[in-house]
Amino acid sequence: MEVIACYSNKGGVGKTATSVNLAHALAEGGKRVLLCDLDPQGASSFYFRVKPSKKLDEARFFEDVARFTKAIRASDFERLDILPANMSFREFDAFLARVRNKRSRLKKALKAVGNDYDVIVLDCPPNISALSENVFKAADRIIVPVIPTTLSARTFEQLIEFFDENGLRRRKLAPFFSMVEARKSLHLETMKEMRTRYRKLFLDSAVPYSSDIERMGLHRAPVRSYAAKRPAGRAYAALYEEVSGKGAK
Amino acid sequence: MKLNKPERRTLLVLPGRIDLGEVQPGGPLRLELEPPQEAGAFTLLDDFSQSLQRSGRALLQLGDELILLGADGEVPSQSAARDGAFVHDLAPGQVRDALDDISPLRALLEVASGTAQVQQAALLDDEDKTQVRAELRVLSSPEGEVTLIAVEHMRGYDKAHESLLAALAARGAHMEQGMIGEWLAPGREAYVSKPVVPLGEGRTAHDVAVGIIRAYLGVARRNEAGTIADHDTEFLHDYRVALRKIRSVLSLFKGVFPDEETARFKAAFSDLMAPTGQLRDLDVYLLEKDAYFNLLPESLHDGLAEMFRQFQEERDAAQRKLARRFRSRAYAARMAEIEAEFAGGDLPRGPKADLPAHDYASALIWKRYRKVCKIARGIDAQTPDDEVHELRIGCKKLRYLVEFFAPLFPDAELATVLKPLKKLQDNLGLFNDYSVQQGALRAFVETHQGRTRQDDIETALAVGGLVTVLHDRQKAERARVAKRFGKFDSDEVREAARALFHGSEG
Repeated sequence: MEVIACYSNKGGVGKTATSVNLAHALAEGGKRVLLCDLDPQGASSFYFRVKPSKKLDEARFFEDVARFTKAIRASDFERLDILPANMSFREFDAFLARVRNKRSRLKKALKAVGNDYDVIVLDCPPNISALSENVFKAADRIIVPVIPTTLSARTFEQLIEFFDENGLRRRKLAPFFSMVEARKSLHLETMKEMRTRYRKLFLDSAVPYSSDIERMGLHRAPVRSYAAKRPAGRAYAALYEEVSGKGAK
Repeated sequence: MKLNKPERRTLLVLPGRIDLGEVQPGGPLRLELEPPQEAGAFTLLDDFSQSLQRSGRALLQLGDELILLGADGEVPSQSAARDGAFVHDLAPGQVRDALDDISPLRALLEVASGTAQVQQAALLDDEDKTQVRAELRVLSSPEGEVTLIAVEHMRGYDKAHESLLAALAARGAHMEQGMIGEWLAPGREAYVSKPVVPLGEGRTAHDVAVGIIRAYLGVARRNEAGTIADHDTEFLHDYRVALRKIRSVLSLFKGVFPDEETARFKAAFSDLMAPTGQLRDLDVYLLEKDAYFNLLPESLHDGLAEMFRQFQEERDAAQRKLARRFRSRAYAARMAEIEAEFAGGDLPRGPKADLPAHDYASALIWKRYRKVCKIARGIDAQTPDDEVHELRIGCKKLRYLVEFFAPLFPDAELATVLKPLKKLQDNLGLFNDYSVQQGALRAFVETHQGRTRQDDIETALAVGGLVTVLHDRQKAERARVAKRFGKFDSDEVREAARALFHGSEG
């Protein structure tokens, strides 16, 4: 069981879109996927039309595996399940601790209820005040969408510094360029500059800025289910190829 | 085809069609029905004795896929490609594996066929989230219609799943998938090769004899069409066994009919039996084909192949001849005549006709049992083979008698006697088969001529090899007779036999 986190220490970068489309592509590719919506706004659940769970207020929620698994919902797509959650920061932390420390137990518990997932995708909250070390420790890979702008570059630099200062492995990070506008020279220059600076760290694939992605809110479905052949759909396919290729152990 | 997706799928069956729109299965949920799609042809398969239906299963060919409904656990499926009509002719796969209990001698026959239609249905909530899905597959044959409904449980949406299942159950859907044969081909008569003849209170020996003959005449007639069509060798085999049982009733139930009538009946059934012998013999040789090849070294295989080529030719000719006979007007008229004779209530009665069935049976069986024991106890290593054959025939008669009257006696005690008797018979049967086969092989060499002299030399060599092997095997079986009989002649069996068949004299 692989844990992939979609994380960004900056909001509005396409993080939830990444979680939703990556989870969908993984499931389409044959993996059994559990997408955990850890965002308090429940955005990824919304895209899958899954109503937020009501019983998530109690802190001991994640201590109780039965209740945890009971909250899981099938999506309309084969092999893809959703854990709809709008949990507090405290709960999120507890959840991550569980994933990190008790992974084998969590896997066993999931298997026991008929869910032997290959991949758990975490759609992490964007508004954690402090950088949560737990995310970084729990995840095998951390997908970080980065808009190729000066401001985003600075935020990403802070993330790298945090990793270095805390002795975390940079190699877990899988940043990619998100919301890329090819006609903006600033975007292209920033991408070139950052690829040089963080050699081999950035994924090759990049996701363009696209109205097809914005329309996810209208369709309430992953991009590839309605625009597979269009640039955004193809970009997520490429991202998936790269992530699953690199993620193979 | 998703019927076989194991996890979270419930497969229901329903006679006829169902209009989910009318059923309103969703309560607050919205039903979304896609237009039905034509999904090609289907064929439902089973063997003549309905082994699949009787075990609650249904073997369905849908397009180029073969699926087995009603098996435990998931729904096995595989490619429908096959070389012939038998289970071993199927391509290797889940279905073939799951059919390992079906007799290798029985062909899978078409029970029903027609066209299939598929329709997808889903129940959605107010967010347009699917909460449960169903796939409806309507199979239509000229005689009936059935709907297979695969309901997919979606994790976390138990209520929707349950309400759909409840709505379908209320309309008569259930999980007994083996039923679809009943609906697609209604009114098929079940085939029973060993009918149980009622032997209730007040029945006389005459009633029993007539009842058994009538029942087995029915069995024989049920096997005519399959013999003509040449589906498999079991049709003719069952036909012959039925006639043999009738003949054994006639020879064993002494005094039930007047002697001259018994003689007339015997002649009639002997006349029916005689034209079937050659084909059955050839069937038996051909069924042994693989075994024979395994008995001999490869250097003798050419000769065997030549011999079997000739057997196959003769067999096909014999089959055509018998089929012609079965189709003839003369045969139909003769069978109708015999059936009419036994259907009537005024068959002539012999001196023992009015004895109560139980007393009559006990006396007959007891006498036969003692006779078998007497022969067997005299058999040692030096006894001539003829006496072993006599023992085999005696055992067969005893077995038939016990089985004819089985309903009159308690099962458990009967089993005590029958079980070691069957073992002894297996042993004697093999002894006899090896002996008959040797004779037949020698006869083959004497009477057959191949296409070339070389063919004849090769077959003679192969037959020589086979006779040697069969002779050894016959000797080995012969050596086991005394031991097998010892088990049959144990105190326990003797007491059981005495209590069953000789109770009044303690």
